[in-house]
Amino acid sequence: MATRKKQQAAPATRRVVIVNGVRTPFQKAFGAFMEMDTIALGEAAVKGLLARTPVARDQIDAIVWGGVILPAGAPNVGREIALDLGLPASVEARTVTRACASGLQAITDAAASIALGEVDVVIAGGSDSTSNARLELPQTLVHKLAPVAMSGKSGPLDYMKAIASLSPARDLIPQKPEIAERTTGEVMGQAAERMAVRNGITREAQDRFAAMSHHRAAAAAESGRFSREVVAVETPKGKTVTSDGLVRANTSEEKLAKLRPAFRKDGTLTAGNSSPLTDGAAAVLLMSEDKALELGLTPLAVVETWAYVGVDPADQLLIGPALAIPKALDRAGLTLADMDLVDLHEAFAAQVLCVTKMLESDAFARERLGRDAAVGVVDEAKLNVHGGSVAIGHPFGATGARMVSTMAHELATTDAKRAVLGICAAGGLGAAAILSKWEAAT
Amino acid sequence: MSDRLVELGANPTARRLIGALGLPIPLPQKLRRGRGPWPTQPLADRSAAVDVASDGTLADVLAHALVPAGASVALVGSDAARAAFDGVAEAWGRPVTSIDRDAGGRADLLVFDATGLRSVDDLNGLYGFFHPRVRELARNGRAVVIGRPAEACEDLGAAAAAAALDGFVRSLAKEIGRRGATANLITVAPGAEANLGPALRWILSDRAAFVTGQPLHVGSAAGSAEDAPTTRPLEGKVALVTGAARGIGADTARCLAREGAHVIVLDRPADEALAREVAEEIGGSMVLADVTDDGVVDQILAHLKAHDQRLDVVVHNAGVTRDKTLGRMSAEQWELTLAINLRAIVRMSEGLDGALADGGRVVLMSSIGGIAGNVGQTNYAATKSGVIGVARHLAPALAKRGVTINAVAPGFIDTRMTAAMPAVNREVARRLSALSQGGLPVDIAEAVTFLASPGARGLTGQVLRVCGGNFVGA
Repeated sequence: MATRKKQQAAPATRRVVIVNGVRTPFQKAFGAFMEMDTIALGEAAVKGLLARTPVARDQIDAIVWGGVILPAGAPNVGREIALDLGLPASVEARTVTRACASGLQAITDAAASIALGEVDVVIAGGSDSTSNARLELPQTLVHKLAPVAMSGKSGPLDYMKAIASLSPARDLIPQKPEIAERTTGEVMGQAAERMAVRNGITREAQDRFAAMSHHRAAAAAESGRFSREVVAVETPKGKTVTSDGLVRANTSEEKLAKLRPAFRKDGTLTAGNSSPLTDGAAAVLLMSEDKALELGLTPLAVVETWAYVGVDPADQLLIGPALAIPKALDRAGLTLADMDLVDLHEAFAAQVLCVTKMLESDAFARERLGRDAAVGVVDEAKLNVHGGSVAIGHPFGATGARMVSTMAHELATTDAKRAVLGICAAGGLGAAAILSKWEAAT
Repeated sequence: MSDRLVELGANPTARRLIGALGLPIPLPQKLRRGRGPWPTQPLADRSAAVDVASDGTLADVLAHALVPAGASVALVGSDAARAAFDGVAEAWGRPVTSIDRDAGGRADLLVFDATGLRSVDDLNGLYGFFHPRVRELARNGRAVVIGRPAEACEDLGAAAAAAALDGFVRSLAKEIGRRGATANLITVAPGAEANLGPALRWILSDRAAFVTGQPLHVGSAAGSAEDAPTTRPLEGKVALVTGAARGIGADTARCLAREGAHVIVLDRPADEALAREVAEEIGGSMVLADVTDDGVVDQILAHLKAHDQRLDVVVHNAGVTRDKTLGRMSAEQWELTLAINLRAIVRMSEGLDGALADGGRVVLMSSIGGIAGNVGQTNYAATKSGVIGVARHLAPALAKRGVTINAVAPGFIDTRMTAAMPAVNREVARRLSALSQGGLPVDIAEAVTFLASPGARGLTGQVLRVCGGNFVGA
């Protein structure tokens, strides 16, 4: 039975606020953004952020960027963005990766640096271009050719020999890119499929949730709510993209019910109730509260606490948020009932429903969290109020920053006082963060 | 020494061919053995059919031993038992289904809670549960019966039924062994229920691949194993293994280190190179001494003092054979075997008592030779039954401070020693067991590691045979 570890007392830190947050429209992979790699997408988001926020370039201390498919030649995407945009050379940068939680990781990483007083003003976000994932040549090819190529003594004959030793089938056919777990070999959809079965999540419930995600995202676009955070992007082909490409206002449970299972013949997960491969980026401007006020800026929200957890990837790969959320709540001294908004990354509708089911379960709380009672019921009216990754799309590194951005704007423009975010990620990782409305000291 | 029949049996084409031709060749099942440290879910995705006694006393313990370990349970039992399972099942996303006792069906694990037996008639439930399922038990499957010790039963009928379980399990083990499946009995003394979980979890796992047809008696003399760690059980512990330079001793040292222990590798100065290699491989330390040396205890104590350590685990593994029929056996052969295999253990047990931490674990190396006897082994068998006496004698006193002491009795194990046997004898010895094959040194090492773990608190003063259900002395 689980026992709760004692939290260590936090060192004295500074309050961290979110000043603004934006994202590019999210587009289907191999769609409108096909020619833009993760660096170009990141630039579009950061450019949009700076265009909308009155902050002098020389006030920026750093960029912290999140990404999953990192370009092999320039893996520190954050620094490339700063250089390409012509930001002052002093804007240092790092790039972080934590699978689908990379965008949130960038933000909490930046928040930690600000809280500890290392820096005052940071741009944090993330991007991914699934369209530009490199096809990998088999490692056996590298192992056969590299020793010859790297040796100074190799002659033409050595090259001929190495080439002659290649087997076309084994060494030359590129590997199919898949989001498979390295340790289990299981594709994420299969893992989510097993979770749906094990937790009794029906096809109907998934399709209903997916339809809701699309309708809410469509409504947010329609009402202009998304214009607070979505910035226009000009593509290399000269086309200007102003809105999301994946959201379907006219979908319905009935339409989704007709789709065929995507991962298993008798499965319940479909392309319609899973998040699609997506290109996009999101960026958030974080500052210490004092710095923001000194610069005369009005923050949108405060970063309160966060938590990351790991579970056995061979068990329930995507259940992590059900453990991370209570941990982040504990750190903030708050309960789920204190939350006015709940934003869960929708890798799959099934996975969100598994997580909410566990948050509502007394047994889960008792057996796995060492609590007497359930974390709490997630009211559907508070959950993913403007849709989620199933409808909007999921550029891996960008999603966390998209969620923070959406919640920060929501806290600033509505009566909602607190929001909790939850993200599941490959490797059995779970992430959670708590934001609160920024209110001027009286 | 590889076992050609096991290899042949692992080849589906050969298996089909031999079956089709009706050749009288026994094809043992290649045993599934766990690798690496204890996993968080040793029973991941295994299907378990579980029959819980009507009073449901053990339902909660069984649910916690099975479900968090990864098993998907189909349950025969009352609503109360079902309720105990449901909570754990929901938390781990392993929904429990209710089934009828006589329904049958395929399963990886069969668990029958026989603690509710009150009369000989109640044994019909045992038949009712296993009869429709036994033929569909998976390869490398597990059958476990959980009963009460007969001596704890108040009336005659219950005692007779409880004792009957032993013969049932031993026979079942012989029937399902060809499939690489095992059958074992666990008895639980009243009040020792909390100590059942770790033993059940281990015997159902693929770490216990070569243990079959055996009873494990779970008591509470040494305290309760509640909240025992299920992974890295030996984190922070110090273990001494004698004769650890090679063979079973070296594998035991590796297994203990794998689960987190700092292992002190003890062997003779003549084997320094081998001992050093093992110690370096596992990040342990080394004491070079002959266990028969007068100064061996002082040497160990000095080593502990120098490293500011106490002993949490002691494995008396060092041993020799000097086989000769009694009439031909020299006094030296007799004396040497007794000195190393028994006198040294008695002396070290006394000498190291003060250095053994509360809650410690002692494991002695016995042998089925010590239980059944063997031609040419009067000396060896005497020492190997002698160590059983050591375990039984010391158990009650050590239990007062939470220390357990047990003996492990290997059956036919494929080692350097058995590789030297004449081929025909070796082949016969291998096949004369329920699993129809020899064990590996790691099978012994895994059993020692389990007995050394905090969760094995319920087991003390016992002999655990790791013999593949050897027909000798069973």
